[in-house]
Amino acid sequence: MKKIIFSVTDGRGFDIGLVLLPLAFLFVLSGLPLVYNVVMSFQEVDMFSLGSFVRPFVGFKNYVDLFAQPETQPILLNTALFVSASIAGQFIIGFGLALFFWMNFPGASWLRGLFLVSWIMPGLVVGAIWNWILSGDFGVLNFFLRETGVIAGNIFWRSDPNYSLWAVIIANIWLGTSFNMILLSVGLSAIPKDLYEAAELDGATALQRFFTITLPMMRSTIGAIIALGLIFTLQQFDLFAGITSGGPNNSSNVTQYWAWDLSFRQYDFAKGATISVIMIVLVMLASVVYVRSTRHEVRG
Amino acid sequence: MSDQWRNRLMLAVALLLAAIYLFPLYWMYVTALKTGSAMFATPPKFLPSEPQWGIYSFVWESRNMGRYLWNSLVIALGAVSLIAVLGVGCAYVLARYRNAWVDVGLFLILMLQVLPASLMVTPIFVGFSQFGLLETPRFAVILAIAAKNMPFFVVLVRATFMSVPMELEEAALVDGNSRIGAFFNIALPLARNGILVSAILIFMQAFGEFVYSKSMIQAVELQPASVGLNTFMGPNTNEWNNIMAYATIYVTPVLAVFVLLQRRIVSGLTSGALK
Repeated sequence: MKKIIFSVTDGRGFDIGLVLLPLAFLFVLSGLPLVYNVVMSFQEVDMFSLGSFVRPFVGFKNYVDLFAQPETQPILLNTALFVSASIAGQFIIGFGLALFFWMNFPGASWLRGLFLVSWIMPGLVVGAIWNWILSGDFGVLNFFLRETGVIAGNIFWRSDPNYSLWAVIIANIWLGTSFNMILLSVGLSAIPKDLYEAAELDGATALQRFFTITLPMMRSTIGAIIALGLIFTLQQFDLFAGITSGGPNNSSNVTQYWAWDLSFRQYDFAKGATISVIMIVLVMLASVVYVRSTRHEVRG
Repeated sequence: MSDQWRNRLMLAVALLLAAIYLFPLYWMYVTALKTGSAMFATPPKFLPSEPQWGIYSFVWESRNMGRYLWNSLVIALGAVSLIAVLGVGCAYVLARYRNAWVDVGLFLILMLQVLPASLMVTPIFVGFSQFGLLETPRFAVILAIAAKNMPFFVVLVRATFMSVPMELEEAALVDGNSRIGAFFNIALPLARNGILVSAILIFMQAFGEFVYSKSMIQAVELQPASVGLNTFMGPNTNEWNNIMAYATIYVTPVLAVFVLLQRRIVSGLTSGALK
């Protein structure tokens, strides 16, 4: 007994205790729900059996039903479009801004940091602001587009099924660009300067330097950022709640909003759990890519 | 001096870019000050002609914002305290050892970091309701947020502990400190700033949290400001000046803290996210 107390106060027991307590917490509140999610996706869950632990197992019925629903395929396609367009937009604009702020001038790092307010704000507030900016008749974005001659008539971003998903994508690109830019800036500043000096002496143009030095040196950073972008985009929920609520008629619905909608709007917890399981598997695959591309840095 | 002109030109372009990027924020502040008719004017006015400063106290009163913000504060502080108490020690140990177990632990933590809240809320809600945790909904939300955000906190704080030299603790041990003493007297004070910045980041995220609160807190008097904003924005609302005033009151404190601590927050964030 004395030995154990000594170990906790002055030995390895101290370290083990420090790490086991939070891991136990995470196991109970993240690990168990994860398992429970999978169990529920194989069960029949309704309002009456919600409170009991014994529910009938139905095998793959939930999965089969889910893919038989007419809205499943469009929502999966929406998710794919939302993810790829958001990541592409965030990354390209973010990279452009990072390259610009990489050229040293006074105030560059302070101004660059200021961009991050878009990422720090509550997602629902971002949703509210963009909801107003994207409004059809009085939205300021339509005003700018009309004045510059891009469009002739107003676009009803939120209520036109052809544009509703793009309304959320635009807001999401704005939200995530700054984060991409900051991380890309870190990657850029890690490239040794003498590489560029040597290339300049050899007569390489700016474009050649970008493609032969910058891009190859940034490869692992870019991999990590794309994977992080995928993870964050699949977590995006607040913007859907704040702008379109998945409508009209599911035209801007994506799986992470749909899963919540099924559980908490239609009280179909089994279906909600089923989509969750499918999407969590996808997110975990993405995070394996992320962990692998930052692995050498984890090891130090 | 051509260098000076180059710098000025670059700064001007940078300011322009920042102005374009931050326009939505400006639009929030301006819309809040407009009258009902000025808001719907075409072409829109970019400076309010007759700013309605009274709108803030009106929205504060009519939407009962004091109560919403208090709930947000309770939830965010509760989550941050729980995360800090449990997470700091975990980050410390993961920073001090190098072996296969630590790698496994880190991998698990990174995996938990990526689980989307809107997908985890279904099993958490059902499980919590079965164990009666939904009787105390704010506490339930604190637990859920803590589980969601602790991995991120551990990753950030671990990076801080890695920069505290181990030799200092070894010297303290030689001088007769116990392991506990060395941790509390040496490692913790030296990592204080990093821990504080990470806690502020987590606080900001918890302060704006929406999914868990929306799903688990049914009673209006316990809901945080994010849920309040959501109920304010009905499907066919035209009270945009009031909504933007609400949003202004909600985010301005967060933005102020961020601008003040910007440099530290950005460096803390970048050290963790890529490591």
